[in-house]
Amino acid sequence: MSLLEKGTARKDSPVSGRPARRPLRQRIFGNGLKPGYLTYGLLLAFFLGSSYPLWWSVVVGSRTNEALGLDWPPLLPGGNFWNNVSEVFDTIPFWTALWNSILISTIITVSVVTFSTLAGYAFAKLRFRGNTVLMVAVVATMAIPTQLGIIPLFMVMRTLGWTGEIGAVIIPSLVTAFGVFFMRQYLVDVIPDELIESARMDGANMIRTFWHVALPAAKPAMAILSLFTFMMAWTDFLWPLLVLTAGNPTLQTALSQLSSARYVDYSVVLTGAVLATIPLLVLFAAAGKQLISGIMQGAVKG
Amino acid sequence: MKNFRFPAAAIAGAAAVALLASGCGGGDQEAASPDNPVELSVTTFGTFGYDDLYAEYEDANPGIKINPNNIDRGENARTDAFTKLSAGSGLSDVVAIEEGWLGSIMEVSDQFVDLNEYGAEDIKDNWVDWKFKQGTDSEGRVIGYGTDIGPQGLCYNGKLFEDAGLPSDREAVAELFGGDDATWDKYFEIGRQYHDKTGLAWYDQSGFVWNSMVNQMEEGYYTPDGELNIEDNAAMKEQFMQLAAGTEAGLSANEKKWDWGKGKAFADGSFATFVCPGWMLGTIQTQMESAGAGPEAGWDFADVFPGGASNWGGAFLSVPETSEHKEEAAKLAAWLTAPEQQVKQSAAANNFPSTVEAQEQLAAEAAPNELFNNAPTGAILASRAEGVTAQFKGPEDSVIQDKVFSPALGQLDAGTTDGEGSWNEAMKLLNELVVNN
Amino acid sequence: MTVTLKRPAPAAPPTGAVSPFRHRLSAWDQKFSPYLYISPFFLLFALVGLFPLLYTFWVSLHDWHLLKGQGEFVGLANFTNVLQDRFFWNSLGNTMSIFLLSAIPQLIGALFIAAVLDQNLRAKTFWRMSVLLPYVVTPVAVAVIFTNMFGEDPGLINNLLGNFGIEPIKWRTDTLPSHIAIATMVNWRWTGYNALILLAAMQAVPRDIYESAALDGAGAFRRFFSITLPSIRPTMIFVIITSTIGGLQIFAEPRLFDPTDPGGPQRNFQTTVLYLWEMGFQRNNFGKASAIAWLLFLIIVIIGLINFSLSRKIASADTKKPGNRAQRRAEGKRK
Repeated sequence: MSLLEKGTARKDSPVSGRPARRPLRQRIFGNGLKPGYLTYGLLLAFFLGSSYPLWWSVVVGSRTNEALGLDWPPLLPGGNFWNNVSEVFDTIPFWTALWNSILISTIITVSVVTFSTLAGYAFAKLRFRGNTVLMVAVVATMAIPTQLGIIPLFMVMRTLGWTGEIGAVIIPSLVTAFGVFFMRQYLVDVIPDELIESARMDGANMIRTFWHVALPAAKPAMAILSLFTFMMAWTDFLWPLLVLTAGNPTLQTALSQLSSARYVDYSVVLTGAVLATIPLLVLFAAAGKQLISGIMQGAVKG
Repeated sequence: MKNFRFPAAAIAGAAAVALLASGCGGGDQEAASPDNPVELSVTTFGTFGYDDLYAEYEDANPGIKINPNNIDRGENARTDAFTKLSAGSGLSDVVAIEEGWLGSIMEVSDQFVDLNEYGAEDIKDNWVDWKFKQGTDSEGRVIGYGTDIGPQGLCYNGKLFEDAGLPSDREAVAELFGGDDATWDKYFEIGRQYHDKTGLAWYDQSGFVWNSMVNQMEEGYYTPDGELNIEDNAAMKEQFMQLAAGTEAGLSANEKKWDWGKGKAFADGSFATFVCPGWMLGTIQTQMESAGAGPEAGWDFADVFPGGASNWGGAFLSVPETSEHKEEAAKLAAWLTAPEQQVKQSAAANNFPSTVEAQEQLAAEAAPNELFNNAPTGAILASRAEGVTAQFKGPEDSVIQDKVFSPALGQLDAGTTDGEGSWNEAMKLLNELVVNN
Repeated sequence: MTVTLKRPAPAAPPTGAVSPFRHRLSAWDQKFSPYLYISPFFLLFALVGLFPLLYTFWVSLHDWHLLKGQGEFVGLANFTNVLQDRFFWNSLGNTMSIFLLSAIPQLIGALFIAAVLDQNLRAKTFWRMSVLLPYVVTPVAVAVIFTNMFGEDPGLINNLLGNFGIEPIKWRTDTLPSHIAIATMVNWRWTGYNALILLAAMQAVPRDIYESAALDGAGAFRRFFSITLPSIRPTMIFVIITSTIGGLQIFAEPRLFDPTDPGGPQRNFQTTVLYLWEMGFQRNNFGKASAIAWLLFLIIVIIGLINFSLSRKIASADTKKPGNRAQRRAEGKRK
């Protein structure tokens, strides 16, 4: 099924000539066309369930340890938030960590998306010896978790003297097999072979064809891949933990450092968790829609 | 082709810039000044009480900026130190080392600066003899300045003692346990009485009691020539079984060490005694503050310890070879461990200094410690430090303590095995984690 | 996730009059450009993916200490040691248990949420975003937050239970509760994400099937079980596979759940990756750690193959099943 076949997604059934009042049963359980209160009640429950742990962190993080011991958790934030924030800033190099996380995730994203699009395009649309075999190799390597390579990678970084630098975090993630697979699957369907043919007829060389035909068509998938890659790089923990230092961390290692350094100041640690979540919340608010459609399209694609 | 190369080149460029930006830094050895600012990173663990001292040092030495990093526990600090050591970078300019894993650091002592090059000889008389010797490797290189030592006294909860009909006055308590002739027999005997009367636990968990017992022995897990001596060490097993009998009788509260219900167990009467090396007073203080408890909880500190003098733990400050500011780092380490600062550290962290002058000062001042029912903890610790000698620590000492005996005793505490089973589990773990690692 | 690789259509040689030189250039261009496009990926992958994997194997054949470096060649001794190591098996058991505790509730929860979302909702995007919210909280932050919620005493959940006279649960000390706690962290973060994937699959089921089924008198539950579920089976397999691979690798959650002992004092929630880390960076034994890495790799490959063959079987069984109109039509649309 193609990403482009948006037509298969259900069109919202237009509700015209709404009846004055539906029977109670329908209002609760809904009818075939309109969901009832029950649906919205459930959705509200999901919403509360998925946001409560975050809210609870805000509440406890804006109070003191005492909030953790209360029989009934307080529901509203207290007045200690800024105090806790300054404790967090005193304990970990928050801004360095934030900047590192942004830099690392951005560079990895640009690299993964660039190389995946190039390779994915070649696999999808170009004919060359070994195409299928090499593509199978890519698919086969998708399952290899990077964590399995940490020991030699660690030794390599040590030999090169790169430990402690964010380059050590970036380099092992510059390409992913998943990215290539994803771009290939997308481009196979989305670019008509005739388009490439006609470009070639017009005398365009390969790179021009790529630039003017493939790239514009690949943009939606590149956006989705960017989001996923960025998230993956942003959340990585084990590898940065091994090669980065307390003075030059990512947001994730800084947060674990905070929870170690302030091991008894639970409210401060939770404040740190909230602060570390804000950047992605901002991204979510800005690009949440794209993220959702990315997940949903990627799913149908996979 | 130009178009094609562009993204790759951009990435390479960006990566290079990033590497350069984070990678540059002076390797200069010039003294710090406002014109030549130097940042020094310091890694400590647990409750070190250095915050005010850092500020003081920064004020007195314009141009120095200290970046502190504290790790929750010595065990984790060890892992961190070794990961950074093996990575060849990332160790702070000044690193705190715990006595328990000093042995493993000594195996790679050439990775640390010989402080003799920075005037260790001139100040060596500051410390009690054995402490300075501990920080010296087999080739005579001084790799660590002692911060504190861990002479052990007995923390007890006066309120709980009173409720159980035991004396609660700290001299009477010292007397109760046998004064200078206090034995573990006596300790467990009173514990059983207490437990029979109240149904409550006597100590928080078995692991710390065990650590105290072992640290008290003339030889611990290793013989002085570095051989493991546990499995066939009858005296050690006998002591273990004594502890196990107590725990099986219900004397252990089976608390999670280093957590104690987020400090709450110190406030709610879960247990009545606690084995207290000097630095543990700081740990208790931190835990109780976190639980919102204070002097009203009833803790006190007695000048007595079962089995006689014992030293558990203590730390050193060292400067790794990878430091870019060795001279400034050594200067800071020396300053932080000088008697005057040790007195201040002791006030902040409740630990006990390793320099003679600081010890004497604490003994003379006999300042009351509010949290411990105004006990003169410093003076008591000074008295507890008498007769303490250094025990040889082997390379895997801390592993044996934390990964072998601690989990084995944890099973005993949880009641999932008996004394014999716990000992056997320890021997099994010893083989798995140490002998055949 | 059945991977079907369609062959690219053969490209006809360009026609029209061109100079021989340009023609040759163009031929080279066509011949070598594809390799040029895929080479950055393969070169980098060889460097950061393949080489580490092979080198891990090399290390696993030696005594190899974190600090002291390469020691003697020991053949497969590290592997036999690890296979006899009770903590390795313990870690595998824990990983599996945590995985099951997360995969099954996650799939059921995600199905349920997707079914609720698969309606003609008002403020659709808002509801979808609300279930996806936990996904933007990183595993480290999740671990920090939930470690406090699952504190034994005090802790949010035990405090609440206490109000109803329920004894505090030993979330960290007891094995099953600790697995549930960690699985909850995973579930919280991923259920909404998987729900959206399943929702996408549900929406791809043609509506007219539902309508005709409804006309035939099939109720909502009936429609869900006999139309929706069979139609989205491939996607469900995809969800299961991705969560298997993810589940075998969890590290941050158990690492931060007990900061002192990796996986708890009795290793009751020590996962295999955590054990790998302990072996390499706490016990400093790179040789054995590499052996663990390879064994874990083999396990992932085996599980991947099982998944693959299972999904193929299911897929072919589906297409063979006669009389399932909805299914066939959905499949028909799919290809």
